[in-house]
Amino acid sequence: MSLNNVKLNTPCIIKEINVEEKTKLRLMELGLINGAVITVKNKSVLKHTLLVAFNYSCFTLKDNLAQLIEVNYV
Amino acid sequence: MYKVALIGNPNVGKSTLFNSLTKSSEHTGNFHGVTVEEKRKIIKFNNSEYEFIDLPGMYSLNYFSFEEKVARDIVVNEKAYRLVVVDANSIKRNLYLCLQLDELNLDYKILINNYDYFSKNKNTINIEKLSKLLSKDIEIINAKKIKLNDNLLKNLKINNNFNKKIDENRNFSNNFQNFNKNLIHNNNEFNSDFKIKPYLIDIVNELKSTTNLDIKSIIYALNGLDIAIDEKYKSIINKSIERAIKARYDYIDKVLSECVHFNRNYIYGSSKADKFLLNPFVMTIGFLALFLLSIYVIFFLLGPIISDALNLLLDKILYTPIMNLLYMNFDNLWLIEFVEGGVFSSFATVVSFLPQVVLLFIFLTLIEDSGIIARMAYVFDDTLSSFGLNGKAVYVMLMGIGCNTMSCMASRNMNGKNLKIKTAILNPFVSCMARLPVFVLIASAFFSKFAFLIISGLYILGIVLLLIIAKILNKTILPTKSSELLLEFPLLRAPDFKHILVVAKVNAIDMLKRVFTIVLSVGIIVWILTHTTFKLIYTDTITESILFKIADKIDFIFTPIGLNSAGIVLALIVGIFAKEMILSTFSICNNALDNASLMLSLSLATSVISFTSASALSFLIFSLIYAPCISTIAVIKAETGRFYMWLGIIGEFTIAYILSFIVYQAFTRGIVFALVSCIIIAIILFAVIYLIKQIKNKKIKCLFCSKCNRK
Repeated sequence: MSLNNVKLNTPCIIKEINVEEKTKLRLMELGLINGAVITVKNKSVLKHTLLVAFNYSCFTLKDNLAQLIEVNYV
Repeated sequence: MYKVALIGNPNVGKSTLFNSLTKSSEHTGNFHGVTVEEKRKIIKFNNSEYEFIDLPGMYSLNYFSFEEKVARDIVVNEKAYRLVVVDANSIKRNLYLCLQLDELNLDYKILINNYDYFSKNKNTINIEKLSKLLSKDIEIINAKKIKLNDNLLKNLKINNNFNKKIDENRNFSNNFQNFNKNLIHNNNEFNSDFKIKPYLIDIVNELKSTTNLDIKSIIYALNGLDIAIDEKYKSIINKSIERAIKARYDYIDKVLSECVHFNRNYIYGSSKADKFLLNPFVMTIGFLALFLLSIYVIFFLLGPIISDALNLLLDKILYTPIMNLLYMNFDNLWLIEFVEGGVFSSFATVVSFLPQVVLLFIFLTLIEDSGIIARMAYVFDDTLSSFGLNGKAVYVMLMGIGCNTMSCMASRNMNGKNLKIKTAILNPFVSCMARLPVFVLIASAFFSKFAFLIISGLYILGIVLLLIIAKILNKTILPTKSSELLLEFPLLRAPDFKHILVVAKVNAIDMLKRVFTIVLSVGIIVWILTHTTFKLIYTDTITESILFKIADKIDFIFTPIGLNSAGIVLALIVGIFAKEMILSTFSICNNALDNASLMLSLSLATSVISFTSASALSFLIFSLIYAPCISTIAVIKAETGRFYMWLGIIGEFTIAYILSFIVYQAFTRGIVFALVSCIIIAIILFAVIYLIKQIKNKKIKCLFCSKCNRK
């Protein structure tokens, strides 16, 4: 499932993603993975970039998280 | 001397704190990655010397970008007291770095910034409890207002204990206390310099039994520090790093649950205004309109009034008294002409643009401080990615409007080597502030009614060229995969007028420094060389001077683009030292002391330097692109290497020449000639791109080096 298919403003949890190791570690260090509740706040024109809120703050993310394995809606 | 490093996540207020503590005026902004290299300042306080170090922002010791590596290396290797600046609004993420420092036994003190906004949104932190749980001194600060005080430094000295033991008497709740005590007990089993943090015990234990690494190396590896690891253990280590990250966040969650109350409806960085601002149409048209409007108001409405007033002031307080003094006391014509032409002419025109340039810097600061840049990066990321760039390039381009040298330095903020090289070498296509006075003066002199349109067109041309060349580079020698745009959204905030005044002062001083160092000294050299013959005799006929004779030999190169005057060639060459020198050289050669007389002289065919409308337009396009200034070239070389520096210089000169040629020929020989030229040039360009692609795909032998085995 692609992250840009996630509904806007719907809280969900990313269980696992399939990106290169360095990026994955950084996303984990920012607290995106491992149980953080996220909400997609905005999608850019081509939906390649997303504005995601988690841990009480907002981050932009690319759709290279498209190889998202599992999203659990809360 | 004591060293004090300011550490923390990006955009938490480290540079603001650095400025407050050291009374400096370093560049700050409401955007991730404003500081790309460490800044140091030594100050005296209570008879001791302190070197404060402002580090680039870092989320973790496991670096992800170049500026994070710079910060990480200093944090780990330099023996300094550490002040970790934590943004109250994203305390969870900020504490992650604190835990990593703890794991390496690097002591620090926590300074919580932006607490006002945090508490205003019904969030609270029990500082005393947090301090006990983390065994750290914690202080709430306002980075903008704090002054260097005894408390801050005294506590630092006491707390600089590199092997501090974990405090067993923390004020945990019963449940958490048991959890923690149990782990501390296990911790005693290790006989090591490192007091392993309780949450890492299991992970360290496991790694110790499965790998041949000692505890120190394991802790280093878990924090992403560079150590030699056997290839066969890498996957185990990576899995352990992931577990360590989770363990740290679990620990932070437990600590925060004890002492922080979050308002559940609160999201830092997100605001209602974003619904409007994140619309691409609103952002594109809005920003472009706002920027061009500010140029129109500053340079065309207020500009002439300001320049005239400043010229009058300079004339009354400087020029007339000094010249009267010289005329009364000296008979030497050479000396009088030197002061008038060499000294006054070289800086009068540049200084008259000072207020306008400062006003435009203030406009850019408003944009930077408001938090809009992160939104622009997000909105334009899709578009820029299709040209092989990245949303973060927006910030580099915006900085380029101010100064290309600074923006080239900011390109190190880009993730990925090719992306960084592209951003650095293409950045000079964005017209910097030093070129703007040249555009305003020439456009006003030759296209009075359309001057503003022409200047707007030059900015747009620069951006369009940047995108086209980025696309070509992406398809040929510098391909970039879709890169991550991992960017924290800052809060939209109202401008801080105190900061704006500081920016205005800093930029005014900076420009005056340039005027009285580079512009004046190069101006004097230019004046001497334009008033001395090869026999080293003074001449008031500029065309007989050394520089003119030399420039005369090469001006045939510029004849096809309509710039066949030795004076113009001279101005372009001198402009490489500093773009302001172009106007200075015009003033020196045409002996003009203010903007009005310079504009008039440039349109007179009898002047040493003169233009027609066609050659003026050709000159504007050529000077927009032909070469960056020498300090920008030096930064490009440092950031990308010699090859890409030369590629940038030669590429920009070639593009400038081709465009000026087409425009000049269209004006003088007609549109058909220009179109035919365009087609021929396009064919040549496509042939070159095809050749490069073939070399890259190893279908033909590389021509560039004999050692290369490519076929």
